[in-house]
Amino acid sequence: MISKKLAVELINYASSTGADFVELFYEDTKGTSYSFENAKLDSISTNYVNGIGVRLLKDNQSIYGYTNDLSKKSLFKLIENLRSSFSTSRCIEEISDLKQQKYKRVNKSIVSLTTIEPSTIIEYVRKGINEILNYDKRIVRVIGGFLVKTSDITIMNSEGKLFKKHNEYGRVFLNSIASENGKIETRFDGPGSQNGWKFFTEELDFIKLARENARKCILMLGAKECPSGHFPVIIGNGWGGVIFHEACGHQLEATSVAKGLSVFSNMKGQYIANPIVSAYDDGTMPNEWGSNDIDDEGNPTQNNCLIKDGVLVGYLVDNFNGRRMGEKGNGACRRQSYKYNPTSRMSNTYIANGKSTVEEIIKNTKLGLYAVSFNGGSVNPAVGDFNFGCSEAYIIKDGKILEPVRGATLVGNAKDILKHIDMIANDLGLGQGNCGSSSGSIPVNVGQPTIRVDDITVGGRGGSIDEYK
Amino acid sequence: MNINKFLVKAKEADIDVAEIKISKTTSSSISIFRGEIDSNEFSSTSSLTARGIYKGKLGAVSSENLNDSSIDSLIKDIKTNATLIEKEEEPIIYQGSKDYKKKNTFNKQLSELTTSSVLPLLYEIERKTKEKDSRVSDVQVSFQIQEEEFVFANSYGLNLKTHSNYFVLVGEVYMKEGEITKDNYTIKFGNKFEINVDEFVDELVKECSKKFNAIPIQNGTYKGVIDRDAVADLVNALISNASSEQTQKHSSIFEGKEGQKVVSSKITIDELPLKNNVFRTYFDSEGVATQNKTIIKNGVLETLFYNLETAKKAGKESTGNGQGASSIGVGFTNITVKKGRLTKEELINKVNNGVYITSITGLHAGLDPRSGDFSLQAEGFLIKNGKLDNFLTLFTVGGNLFRLFNDVVAVGNDSKLMLSSIETPSIAFKNLKISA
Repeated sequence: MISKKLAVELINYASSTGADFVELFYEDTKGTSYSFENAKLDSISTNYVNGIGVRLLKDNQSIYGYTNDLSKKSLFKLIENLRSSFSTSRCIEEISDLKQQKYKRVNKSIVSLTTIEPSTIIEYVRKGINEILNYDKRIVRVIGGFLVKTSDITIMNSEGKLFKKHNEYGRVFLNSIASENGKIETRFDGPGSQNGWKFFTEELDFIKLARENARKCILMLGAKECPSGHFPVIIGNGWGGVIFHEACGHQLEATSVAKGLSVFSNMKGQYIANPIVSAYDDGTMPNEWGSNDIDDEGNPTQNNCLIKDGVLVGYLVDNFNGRRMGEKGNGACRRQSYKYNPTSRMSNTYIANGKSTVEEIIKNTKLGLYAVSFNGGSVNPAVGDFNFGCSEAYIIKDGKILEPVRGATLVGNAKDILKHIDMIANDLGLGQGNCGSSSGSIPVNVGQPTIRVDDITVGGRGGSIDEYK
Repeated sequence: MNINKFLVKAKEADIDVAEIKISKTTSSSISIFRGEIDSNEFSSTSSLTARGIYKGKLGAVSSENLNDSSIDSLIKDIKTNATLIEKEEEPIIYQGSKDYKKKNTFNKQLSELTTSSVLPLLYEIERKTKEKDSRVSDVQVSFQIQEEEFVFANSYGLNLKTHSNYFVLVGEVYMKEGEITKDNYTIKFGNKFEINVDEFVDELVKECSKKFNAIPIQNGTYKGVIDRDAVADLVNALISNASSEQTQKHSSIFEGKEGQKVVSSKITIDELPLKNNVFRTYFDSEGVATQNKTIIKNGVLETLFYNLETAKKAGKESTGNGQGASSIGVGFTNITVKKGRLTKEELINKVNNGVYITSITGLHAGLDPRSGDFSLQAEGFLIKNGKLDNFLTLFTVGGNLFRLFNDVVAVGNDSKLMLSSIETPSIAFKNLKISA
């Protein structure tokens, strides 16, 4: 860690050539990663990340640098390089001190994973892996893992403010591989939390998760190929929220909105979704995977309403992109580490509960697909085209689940898809993932209740949906 | 960090053999948007990975703290982690190969470039892109230079070094016609900075402008050409099955197939880690000398990729394909698909009626390299009577990698090296399942 005195010197030096804002972001992170090959601990590695990122802003320009050589000489050299981008006289006052800021805690105290004996963690994961291995002989391999990551961040800026925050992440992974007659199927589950050991021992039914992982892997191994075409798709709760994340969430980040490079730029106040849709990005859910007390520039996180009854009401904004938009940051500025220039990102993003039940949605679907879980997806925010791949899906015929199908991919355009959500259930759930974008890979929750999209393009290798008529 | 000090202290702490890899990287990048600098970044970082065999087990640690004062803590982590390992295979730290084809890919001329010195070129690209077509609504141009010094050392006295640098230039264009926005990007990279601005701009705008007036395609099974940029991703997934780690762990369709025909006889794939380009590497992550080799010859799987552990298990020598930091898996560099004789136009002509796929998206969710199944968002054109027709509205392409590469119609001659280190020409296939 660098001293407050040195930080003040560095900030004043950085602002002397005309920057209107200077920020130092110091990070001290330790990660321990356990990897299992079947029931045996195959490797364990400890990883230390320790460095400083420096950001200089002037109007619409952002200059960023980082180093993990924390010597005074190296830091001044880095800043010399950064401040040479500007050549005007000082436009903000020098600071004389940094005052630590207080904020409301979002993440409550936990039983830290760092206090749990490694042997306890190892046995915990092993039980889940054994549950999968014993489920069916066709499961030929299970890759398991457990991650413990603690991160201490100090943010200091030219407004004389100093913020400190601490995060602790824990995540367990199960990846089973089944094989039969030259066909291979894989199934991944990776729940995570910031709620310490309590999440794993009291909130998560890990053995049930492992059994379901195995059951679904075998089920999909024997499944027919998914048919293709345009038809209604019911999208399951929790991880199904990846549809909103890709189809809408990224396009509401100021990163693309500010430059007019999002399909939803300048559309505040307009209907972009069916009026039954309301959606939020809530960084304040206690101890959730995507939560933070403050964001990565010191703003308190918020529960940001993005869509209210179908109308676009807000974007995810960081202070820098907010300059172009004439808006203030709303706690959405995030980065993977000190090596990334921060920008607006999602946290815990979800579509709010509706009034239907899952049973009603299934019963009201004559012929369609029920996509329960997904491998992930991607989007082009400027054009709006998105895709996501299903890891578990079923054909619905005459209001009933008919049979499982594999290999379904859903594609569409952000501008259309939200208008085609015609039913929303009341079973809101969240799913944990890592989202990759310009400021790196960050933990996020996606979420939604079960929803139905009345018309979407389904890609599959199993012929036409008409064959089911 | 004083490497010898680390190795000596490790020995004193009862670590039988130790290994350390240190990387020092400097990077600078700049991007412009609407006539001004949008962002400018500079960085200088170091990192290390240390591994050691303690009581017959391998422990590992990675850190960004390279001070000698952290040596004791690194050694402690190695020992703690080694004590927990349950893996039965005997760990190996390598004594060294007989012959290393040493050569650095560092270009001094490139290292003298600065982001500010290329700024006029970036503005020229922006200006010419805007002038090229009235539908251009926005342009982003970015440039990055990176330099790395890497050292690999171990208790056996092995001491290997590399010094490399490269640049990446990216142009992104956004074009608007009424309510419809289309985009495209072009990437140039290497360690010799020679850019023909007019050609760069031409490629960027021309490809984007073709994306308007899109027509839908009927669902069905089509013949088609997959452009080299898109087919590179499929080649990458296909060849990852030649990992001996995957075959030994029953996770590859190539298990037990060495010496057998696995894809069409029109396909030959080499791994050329010693090829003289920015990806050249003369030793792998375990210190084993790399070698150029044929992986698939006329459709037959000649060899798998081996690291020290998988080679020992198979009773073979490592092929120099150990890859990773603290945990070593199997990887590859400079995968090269052998060129055919036909130009891209001739491939399109040969297909006669079908699709020409220019890009595929969503690989991490829509392609399973283990099963080979894929269903991906795609972009491209209709092929009608041997010629390119309209651009197509959003569609998906599906299939199975192994069946696809058995259904090859012809291999093109338009090879290009991608940023993924795959060099491939465009390829024409039968039986592409298209859904729209």
